[in-house]
Amino acid sequence: MEQTNEVVERLKKLVGDKIVEIKSPRKRRIFLRVEKDSFREAVKEIVNDMKITHLSTITGTDLGQEIELLYHFAYGDLTVLTVGFKIPKDNLNVRTLTDLVPGAILYERELHEVLGVNFEGHPGLLPLILPETWPEGVYPLRKEQKFEDLRKISSKS
Amino acid sequence: MGFASTIKVPFGPQHPALKEPENFIFEVDGDTVVNVTPRIGYAHRGMEKAFEIRTYIQNVYLAERVCGICSHAHTTCYVQAVEELLGVEAPPRAKYIRTIIAELERLHSHSLWVGIAAHEVGFDTLFMYAWRDRELVMGLLEEISGNRVHYAMNTIGGVRRDLTPELVAKTKSCMDAFETKSKHYLRIMQTEPTFEKRAAGVGILKTKDAVELCAVGPTLRGSGIKNDVRADDPYAAYDEMPFNVISHEGCDVLCRTLTRCEEMLESINIVRYALDHMPSGELRAKVPAAVPAGEAVSRVEAPRGELIHYARSNGSTKPERYKIRSPTLANIPALCKTLIGCHIADIPIILAGIDPCFSCMDRMVFVDAKANNQWIWTMQELRNSKK
Repeated sequence: MEQTNEVVERLKKLVGDKIVEIKSPRKRRIFLRVEKDSFREAVKEIVNDMKITHLSTITGTDLGQEIELLYHFAYGDLTVLTVGFKIPKDNLNVRTLTDLVPGAILYERELHEVLGVNFEGHPGLLPLILPETWPEGVYPLRKEQKFEDLRKISSKS
Repeated sequence: MGFASTIKVPFGPQHPALKEPENFIFEVDGDTVVNVTPRIGYAHRGMEKAFEIRTYIQNVYLAERVCGICSHAHTTCYVQAVEELLGVEAPPRAKYIRTIIAELERLHSHSLWVGIAAHEVGFDTLFMYAWRDRELVMGLLEEISGNRVHYAMNTIGGVRRDLTPELVAKTKSCMDAFETKSKHYLRIMQTEPTFEKRAAGVGILKTKDAVELCAVGPTLRGSGIKNDVRADDPYAAYDEMPFNVISHEGCDVLCRTLTRCEEMLESINIVRYALDHMPSGELRAKVPAAVPAGEAVSRVEAPRGELIHYARSNGSTKPERYKIRSPTLANIPALCKTLIGCHIADIPIILAGIDPCFSCMDRMVFVDAKANNQWIWTMQELRNSKK
């Protein structure tokens, strides 16, 4: 736990003024939440200063009025660092992370498809997993989409 | 010659390398691949959405069915996430049993892969031998759990079945037999010139690219990075297991092969150590049906690499959000990079080189991408059909 706490302290020094919430529920797990505008700066400092280069995946969650994006970074044998922020549903534009972390390319495409998040500057937000005939504007992981309705769309397409 | 002279060659969706659907469009200039576009989703079943409408205990069985090879890796990852949310820890014996099953699963998965790799380079004799010997482990898993693939060993708070003294003895003798076979395969992969000619220097994934594109598992370790969740972020009983993280510097298909073959020998030793040091005691802790609000990130080293699950609970008996990222998806960007510049004839072995598992990768959001697949049964229809 000491090592995890050290990482927390280091993060506080690095991105202190941008932190909305920081918590460490257990050894080797840190959740860091920031404002949307400071996310890129925070990740830049984390990547450059702490040399965290492995992005495990990005989780998108529909919170009702907002969508939360959580970027799960793995930091060697020290910790799994989750950095996240919220965006309002009426403005789902986010700068892509592929220029800083090229491995984000498919995770951003997946989020674009299932939640409708628009990653500005992404090299190609083409469909990845849903069928070609999938109706535009239907984002299956949004809470308003019920499983039964999606099943109907799927069997039609 | 420039791009104007290139032609597009579709690979798949019918088994581009493995017997699973996946589509790649290769842009080729003569015999050389200059660009590749993957299209996944052909085995898409909408599992993340399905997690949200089922209870935590039902979801154990859903997680089991994400994959037909690494089913135990998915349930381990799932139950760990839920246990963390509940604040419950599995008893020590359960953790050892989870570790043993996980390594047996790695053994049968890697030996399946050895067979496929041999097949892709036209070495079908080795393919037959590898798959014949894989049955040793499959049979053992069936004796332990009652099932060859979906072992259903994990449950929230522990495991569902014990390893009796007879099963321990059987497992040990199976490991002895399997060790002889694995050493034989390793020797073939190291020395057989026909394999070396098809694998050495083929499908180069530079260390820098592997790191930048966030590759995982044997694909990453074959490019010289010693990165393994079992060692870096120990779960189950791995913090008590002595083992080496295998890596090779060659960055080619041969090194990915050697990494897997040597990992099989490590797995055998982990199983032996765990059997010898298994503590006695309870198999599972009692857990409530409702899970307090919170969030957890769970990681497991599946046979193909880092598997990560994220769970968010809202205090009810069903998760608010459940996210799965399987190792194959993580390796696709690195795979595409590797394929550029290769010869058409090397495509199958390079594709197979990451040990792709498409049903793991495609499970994410929705029912099925196949247009003619409209006979999806509801739970009620399934129940009625039994009568």
